[in-house]
Amino acid sequence: MPELYLRLLDRVLTPILLVLAAYLFLRGHNEPGGGFIAGLAAASAIQLQILSLGDEPVRRRYARFLHPMAGLGLFIALLSAILGILRGGYFSSLWGKVQLGEVELELGTPLLFDLGVFLIVFSVIVSFLLALSRQDEGKTP
Amino acid sequence: MHVDPNWLAAFIAAPGVAASLGLLFTGWGLRRSVAWQYRLALIGALINFAVSVPVLLVTQAGNRLVLQMGLYQAPFGITVIADALSGLMLFFTALVAVTTLIYARGTLDDRDRLNFYPLLLLLIMGVNGAFLTGDMFNLYVFFEVLLVGSFALLTLGGQIGQINGGIRYVLLNMLASTFFLAAAGVIYGTAGTLNMAQLAERLPQAPPSVQLLIAGLLMIAFSTKAGLFPLFFWLPASYHTAHPAVTALFGGLLTKLGVYTLFRIYPLLFPELLQEWQGFVFVVAALTMITGIFGAMAVNTMRRVLSFHIISQVGYMIMGLGLAATGNPAMATFGLAAGILYVVHQMLVKTAILMAGGAAELEAGSGSLLRERMMGLRQRAPALAVIFFIAAMSLAGLPPSSGFVSKLWLLQGAIDAGHWAIAAVSLIVSLFTLMSMLRIWQKAFWGYPKAEYQVPSPIATPSRQWLTLAPIAVLLAFSLWIGIFSGPALQWFDTAAAQALDRAGYIQAVSPTNTIEYLGGSYDAK
Repeated sequence: MPELYLRLLDRVLTPILLVLAAYLFLRGHNEPGGGFIAGLAAASAIQLQILSLGDEPVRRRYARFLHPMAGLGLFIALLSAILGILRGGYFSSLWGKVQLGEVELELGTPLLFDLGVFLIVFSVIVSFLLALSRQDEGKTP
Repeated sequence: MHVDPNWLAAFIAAPGVAASLGLLFTGWGLRRSVAWQYRLALIGALINFAVSVPVLLVTQAGNRLVLQMGLYQAPFGITVIADALSGLMLFFTALVAVTTLIYARGTLDDRDRLNFYPLLLLLIMGVNGAFLTGDMFNLYVFFEVLLVGSFALLTLGGQIGQINGGIRYVLLNMLASTFFLAAAGVIYGTAGTLNMAQLAERLPQAPPSVQLLIAGLLMIAFSTKAGLFPLFFWLPASYHTAHPAVTALFGGLLTKLGVYTLFRIYPLLFPELLQEWQGFVFVVAALTMITGIFGAMAVNTMRRVLSFHIISQVGYMIMGLGLAATGNPAMATFGLAAGILYVVHQMLVKTAILMAGGAAELEAGSGSLLRERMMGLRQRAPALAVIFFIAAMSLAGLPPSSGFVSKLWLLQGAIDAGHWAIAAVSLIVSLFTLMSMLRIWQKAFWGYPKAEYQVPSPIATPSRQWLTLAPIAVLLAFSLWIGIFSGPALQWFDTAAAQALDRAGYIQAVSPTNTIEYLGGSYDAK
């Protein structure tokens, strides 16, 4: 039976880790961060859930989304590269500015590419974690 | 005829997009998702093939298509370049991809084959990228992409033999990749760049000892990938364990990619070193041929025999590289052209014969040549027997197939240049190849069926049989076409070899800049 304090920790830490992942993802363009590291941070939140709830509930919740998510990530990453052809070359970047009240956000295809990387890394790492934490040792996979 | 270089991106984007969209269907229930993945994969592979035709034609006209990723200038952005050599490789890779997909549809069992088609396309993406890239590190990355794809494909059935073979495969290939990575590090430390065109300018000025180190490390890495003596052990340990469609794809593409990198890198970056190494290259070629063919004589399962043949045939390609390692430009072009022709011939015929052999194994329910399970396939599957026979004769080098032309050309090059020893070895090994083919024919196809067969053959229904046999026939038709219309075909390979040996043209096409631009000005880098 999963430990009580781990479940408490899960309640507290999982949102923090997910916010951290979002932060790392958004700051990645000009500073250290980006899709890859954000994917790892988000996957660590899932690992915390595996530790606190056991692998079976987590698998029930996420497993069927993992392959499509990796596919979606690859598709988004390639799409961002193909969009560059609009500006004359594969992988060249397109930028646009979005005004959100006081804040001005710069959005562009590199961010889209990072989103694709995030999705791939997240889903692949989570599927590794789920495979490694499988508990039914008697059965062969 | 003009082709926008941005079309080169299609070789990476089309398989990648088709694979990624295919993955989206995994939640749909097995049968439907496999059907959709197949449709998407076929569309992706057909787009890939459709783009490869104009690229082939344009590069054959003597042009080089250059695309700088993200419009950054050459040493800063990643260069993607297609010349006639890449063009030929891309065209025949696309052909092998389409035919393998259809063949897989005919032979695969739907049950545990989820994600087979997306993985196959990821592998094609990696192979295409490696043929196109003009950047050493990018080449490494694409090698890794295809290594990941091929490892997953190899172990898709999840049987113990497959995992066992897969682990050897991945371990030895990772080791080779480590050597490659080390070489890339030394290159960057020495020349300050990884762009191949700039390396072609700078590496010849490096100290000879460093050049030797780099060339040696790369030689270990690429000859492992190509399956050269004595680094081929991963190949016969793993190839026969996978599904026949996977074996055919690997046999047709992966070792040839290793040979391609040897053809690309050595004449471009180490032209003088290559000439010094001519004797060494010939010795490696001869030993690869001999060990491969003796291995093929020693094993007794259909696809293991054919796997060893892959190795012995790679020896012939390397013989072409050895012939190119000379100061005489006409001889060098002739030799390299023969080598490239041999690569293409093997891409077609090796894929075809592995497909046919795999189909025979599926039909008989066993690949063993010792037991009598396979006897009499000629009666049970006459169409398959005819196709296998044509493929086997092309592999052995009998006219009027591409095997005959390519061997003849290599032999002519060797004798013209006076390399009698390698010419003799290649002839003797050809004879043994023929013997080995006849052995398969005798044990598997001839004779009368000995036992009553109760094996539920996966290719029994007429539609599946058509899907299985038609792709092999298409590949063999190309092989025969090269053999019969050898005059125009040889021109292609001549152009490809001339472009691969033309270092100045390559550098000029990429035209790497030595000037670093920054906001408000620029300065010359040393």
